[in-house]
Amino acid sequence: MGMAADTIEQKIDYKEISCQSCGSNLLVEPQMLTAICPYCASPSIIQRPPSENLPTPTFTIGFVVTQDRAIEAVSSWIGRSSVFAKSAFRKAAPELTRGVYLPAYLYNAVANSDYRADIGENYTETETYTTTDSNGKTVTRTRTVVKTEWRSLQGQHCCYILDVVVTASKGVTNEALEAVEPFDLRALRRFTPAMISGWLAEEPSRTQDECFQFAHGEALDKVGSQLKGFMPGDSYRNLQYETDVARESIDLVLFPIWSLAVRYDESKPPLQILVNGQTGRVGGKVPISPVKVSIAVGMVLLILVVGALLFGMAR
Amino acid sequence: MSDATSNTAEAEADPTDCSACGTPLESGDLRCAICGKSAPVRRYDLGTTQVVKILRCTGCGAAVAYDPKKQAPSCSFCDSVVEIETLEDPMEQTGGYLTFTVTPEDAKAQLQRWLSSLGWFRPSDLSSTARVQELKPLWWVAWVFDADARVSWAADSNQGGRRSAWAPHAGTTEFVFDDILASASRGLSAAEVGVLASGYDLMTARPDPEGAENATIEQFDVQRSQARKQVSKALNEMAHNRVQQSEIPGTKFRKLQVSLVLQNLVTRRLSFPAYVMAYRYKGQLYRLVISGQDKTLMSGNAPYSQVKIIGVVGAVVAVLAFILLLIALAQ
Ligand SMILES: [Zn+2]
Ligand SMILES: [Zn+2]
Repeated sequence: MGMAADTIEQKIDYKEISCQSCGSNLLVEPQMLTAICPYCASPSIIQRPPSENLPTPTFTIGFVVTQDRAIEAVSSWIGRSSVFAKSAFRKAAPELTRGVYLPAYLYNAVANSDYRADIGENYTETETYTTTDSNGKTVTRTRTVVKTEWRSLQGQHCCYILDVVVTASKGVTNEALEAVEPFDLRALRRFTPAMISGWLAEEPSRTQDECFQFAHGEALDKVGSQLKGFMPGDSYRNLQYETDVARESIDLVLFPIWSLAVRYDESKPPLQILVNGQTGRVGGKVPISPVKVSIAVGMVLLILVVGALLFGMAR
Repeated sequence: MSDATSNTAEAEADPTDCSACGTPLESGDLRCAICGKSAPVRRYDLGTTQVVKILRCTGCGAAVAYDPKKQAPSCSFCDSVVEIETLEDPMEQTGGYLTFTVTPEDAKAQLQRWLSSLGWFRPSDLSSTARVQELKPLWWVAWVFDADARVSWAADSNQGGRRSAWAPHAGTTEFVFDDILASASRGLSAAEVGVLASGYDLMTARPDPEGAENATIEQFDVQRSQARKQVSKALNEMAHNRVQQSEIPGTKFRKLQVSLVLQNLVTRRLSFPAYVMAYRYKGQLYRLVISGQDKTLMSGNAPYSQVKIIGVVGAVVAVLAFILLLIALAQ
């Protein structure tokens, strides 16, 4: 695994291919599966034999959102951004749009868990208590109270973990990909080179092992939330579980993503904004203006201080 | 599955099973509908060296590129589109018709017996009224499935309760589902299907409808993906019921949770024979359904005579009043 990671990182050399249409020699970024000839605009597809960390994609979801629609979506997303966003950002126009097929793994498995928890079963009890009545006398009264009896429970739980999506590109984090999910997987198509012809398509740049581990972690989280709903009783505590995953499957899928850059500050790198190329959903982190936030906090403090002063004077 | 019907029913389907869970994949499936495992690919030869290619239109030779407006690779020059293997979601089709073994004469005799057995409370003009129509043969549709399920459950039961009336219980069990029928019929009610379901011989399935003239033939009017949802809903309900009946200790329970994993889910789509008599009496719809394979299985409702019921209730009230009066007088 370490070896494979090294080889990927060392391959900073461009791939040299020759255009099958005009014969020009082209230099292609190493992580790209496609190229467009700058001289004759012919779309080339680079096919390579599959290897451990570079498997052949199993599925693709085609682009539905056009470039114009993606730019529109981002512009209106910027317009709707928080009042605390930097003013320059709210005025910025998205640029440098590129549609890219992003490699990600689709993970499925069956999870078998052994769990143990304390289950709270409620019951009511009548208890007597002493209090002082309106005449200042001490009196004894009764009331019903709800109490919880804790019983330990051990058991097994089996379930499916379906359609966990994990990025295989170093350029896009899982967090960034999640921001534009979900994809409608009913539109999955069997991968064929024609689906990516004329578009940019990336090779996986993370190892399969790394992606597997991440998917595994996400699977465990899903089991945890299913188990919470599985507990009987009125409440539970100390839920612990150990999960064995079986029937794991992992498929490389190319997802359609529009990647846009928003430059709002000359001194900073442009902000990356992604658009789901199937649904048009926009994801990105809005830069928050510290000045605006401080002004707002200052205003609130000022109001509080003035209020307190007025209140003090009134007394 | 060892019987002949399943083989005929699945004859045109893709014979490969999911390599993870054993559920048969049907033609047009890119993934297993149950566990998500991708279907095996008839891979094109990728060779051992890197190749650079330009895909060309078979019509005009211009380069082909993917077009989001057409959602398919297409030739920019002549506009033709390249077909890509897509997930198919066809309408469900029946895989076979079970034959009628109850003749129309038998069914008619059964109908007459039923009408006369309705008793004195039925309107006296019911069996003679022209509104009682002919029995019509019908093939109604249902899914029949087999599956092995590993079922985990948790619930509160009254067994083992201490201060609280409830105590938590959990368990894991294996269920075998064999020839379970899940109705896809729009025409028949769940109650009617419940009565008919037990009396069919699945071995009698034929590729064409046989044994009835002018029959109404119901179609599955759902797509495959929707059908799968209905089948898995039926499976979940079935598992719930079995856990309630045979797994939870005690006499009362609450908060039952069931989670299950399947193996070898085989679904067949079949058409089942029945006779239906529907009629309107004073604006209300009444219906009798008789199984086409077992005449003793029938489900029906019929009108009660309001006049007769009111008469009887009146008489009973009068008798009670009279008795009370006698008691009062005797004291
Ligand atoms: Zn060229
Ligand atoms: Zn499967």
